[in-house]
Amino acid sequence: MSAADVAAALERARDAGRLLRERPARSAVDALADVLDAWRDPGSRWQKALAEALPEATGFAPETVREGLERGLASFSGDALRELLQREIGGADALDAARGRRAGAFETTAVVLAGAIPMPSLLSIAAPLALRSPVVVKPSLHDPVTAPLLARALAERDPLLGACVEVVAVRRDDQAAIAALCAADCVLATGSDAAIAALSARVAPPRRFVGYGQRFSVAVLGPDATRGERLALSVEGLALDVALWDQLGCLSPVSVHVVSGEARAADRVAEGLGAALARAESRWPRGRIATAAAAEIASARAEAEMRAAAARPDHASPAVSVAASPGTAWTVVREVDGALRPAPLHRFVRVHPAPDVDAALAALRPAAAHLAGVALAGFRDAGADVAAALADLGASRVCAPGALQSPPLAWRRDNLGVLLPLARWTDIEL
Amino acid sequence: MSEDPARAALDAAVLAWTREEPWRLDEVRFERLALELFAFQFARCEPYARFCSARGRTPERVASWREIPAVPTGAFKELALRSFPASREAHVFRTSGTSTERRGELHLDTLVLYEAALLPSVRRFVLPDLESGARARLRILAPAPEEAPDSSLSHLFGCVRREFGDAASGFDVRAGALQIGTLLAALERAGPDGVPVALCGTAFAFVHLLDALAARGARLALPAGSRAMETGGFKGRSRELSREALHGAIEEALGIPAARIVNQYGMTELASSFYDSVLWDPSGPRRKLGPPWTRVRLLDPESGDDVAPGGVGMIAILDLANTGSVLALQTADLGRALAEGFEVLGRVPGAESRGCSIAADEMLAP
Repeated sequence: MSAADVAAALERARDAGRLLRERPARSAVDALADVLDAWRDPGSRWQKALAEALPEATGFAPETVREGLERGLASFSGDALRELLQREIGGADALDAARGRRAGAFETTAVVLAGAIPMPSLLSIAAPLALRSPVVVKPSLHDPVTAPLLARALAERDPLLGACVEVVAVRRDDQAAIAALCAADCVLATGSDAAIAALSARVAPPRRFVGYGQRFSVAVLGPDATRGERLALSVEGLALDVALWDQLGCLSPVSVHVVSGEARAADRVAEGLGAALARAESRWPRGRIATAAAAEIASARAEAEMRAAAARPDHASPAVSVAASPGTAWTVVREVDGALRPAPLHRFVRVHPAPDVDAALAALRPAAAHLAGVALAGFRDAGADVAAALADLGASRVCAPGALQSPPLAWRRDNLGVLLPLARWTDIEL
Repeated sequence: MSEDPARAALDAAVLAWTREEPWRLDEVRFERLALELFAFQFARCEPYARFCSARGRTPERVASWREIPAVPTGAFKELALRSFPASREAHVFRTSGTSTERRGELHLDTLVLYEAALLPSVRRFVLPDLESGARARLRILAPAPEEAPDSSLSHLFGCVRREFGDAASGFDVRAGALQIGTLLAALERAGPDGVPVALCGTAFAFVHLLDALAARGARLALPAGSRAMETGGFKGRSRELSREALHGAIEEALGIPAARIVNQYGMTELASSFYDSVLWDPSGPRRKLGPPWTRVRLLDPESGDDVAPGGVGMIAILDLANTGSVLALQTADLGRALAEGFEVLGRVPGAESRGCSIAADEMLAP
């Protein structure tokens, strides 16, 4: 699509948005809520269409996509949208308020999507629409499916709402077309830190830029989660968190920090997690990966095996160990300290020991700016304090193992709100 | 020479090979020396022996050089892989990196074989037309070895200057900065004299030179016969260029045709390096070639098997000149197997951005 095509799409969206804002805000929210309710039903034609098309387009295995969609969309309900609107904006009425606080929408919002995981894409498109801001969407190279399908679903439910979504195919190296896209009044973008920085440089005030960068997640397990039934539950949950979307999501844990004074605790977690990932592989096979990614895994594995071999076998001190599938489907490396190491992703997890919570926090601190979610278990009454410390560190979500991949619709990704950053506020004091 | 008779014999055999002309691949000799060297290193380098044993690859069980376990280059950041007593250590080369980053180290007890292994390749692939006894005009876009004693690249350039450079050859990076004034003066002097220049350095130093020329609005036309040798990537740098773009820019700004620009593929952990074939074999396709005491395998990361010709795999290298450390290295670089030689595709960073997760090495980047 040329820059002129993008500019034309932006104008069409602007016109449709004007008409949409002539309607009560509640009607747009209701239509959007209906579409979300339809999509979250695993039996719906929309979720089925997504589940059928995504494996080919994205490389994820069909089983993984089905499970990921079912869990990921479970919280994406119409009611959840209304609650979100109430919590962040003060309800749909605040969008039409003639006095007090009025939440306005930007005349146009450009949405630049990244990655192949559909839930963030879905929410990035729905959020401006909930405020009645029409969107011009540049789909991700890796997911050409979600945005057009959502546009179709919206158009079926509410033609005007459908007209407020323009999907544009823009090559990432087409600077003129990107510039045309960035002429929108608000630009919401997801992507690498470099991509976010490059795009934000194109959007000067009063136009608004909202960027969501790349993040990573971890697990922190306390002593109670390192043995017996609780260990089994924790590693089973973590294996699910790792397996879904092949550990490529920002809510995918890349490392597990085992807080315990007992040296063998990390060994047990690593062994249990390896067994759980092997079971996960049989249910939700890892998808296809590029040779470069497989090479990173093979290289990181061999490097860990070399460190494991280098340790003198005295059995007295903990040693690096590697549990892995044939091929590169999954890997667990039991480390001997907290130092973060390269994470090749694609189901590659490192298990780090930490003598106490402070040590685990100190290990995470160098990368805290990129921290998203933390799966937390095994601290009994101290859990709330540990969660608060993780929040202070920068985590935007703390939950139980197994729940990372099903965040609530209202999760404040990147410590931001969902709707709040996209709204224009006016205080009417008359 | 080493006090260890087994090592001294291996060094002597490889040293003799580095001095032979013409080069001969000599499969039989390579197989014999590789297995002998593997057995030697298995006996002398304890971490390597344990790594091999864990894979069931002991000297008794390894019958071909293809079965010798390759050490990942990352392991050189973690372990001192010496096949000699630590007390005999004479030199350490370190990989480049930031102050907070762990750097890989190659420990050496002697530089004799190391230097003997690097020079013939430079002679063949960068200076193939240099007549016997003649000297070349070398301008080197890298710090001198005295300034960067732990840089294997500076050491290589120091050896090359000593062996092949004329009196007007020199280093043009000092205190971390390209000395653009002296370099341009040297290049401008070469023009009227008609002396071809061999401009050697890191790819990023070339970018600095090109930027400096652009800032001055200057373009040079170096004398016919000039050439460039560039090496290394752009990791951690503010500006990246594809190899093709870099070569195009060098041709444009310096007047060195792309067909006379040689990319070197080498690493601190290896004594020997690989070079583009363009000057040695101008009529053939650009490909990486190396000396006969090395072998390159392209491995499928899933199976560990060699990929078919034309296929893409991880580059693994055996270098018989690595007698003091380990001879078999596994890189994370991708390459394409060719009928003769190979093509380096690099690490293809960011090729897998299907998600919003970030790899730990990126999240820890300064």
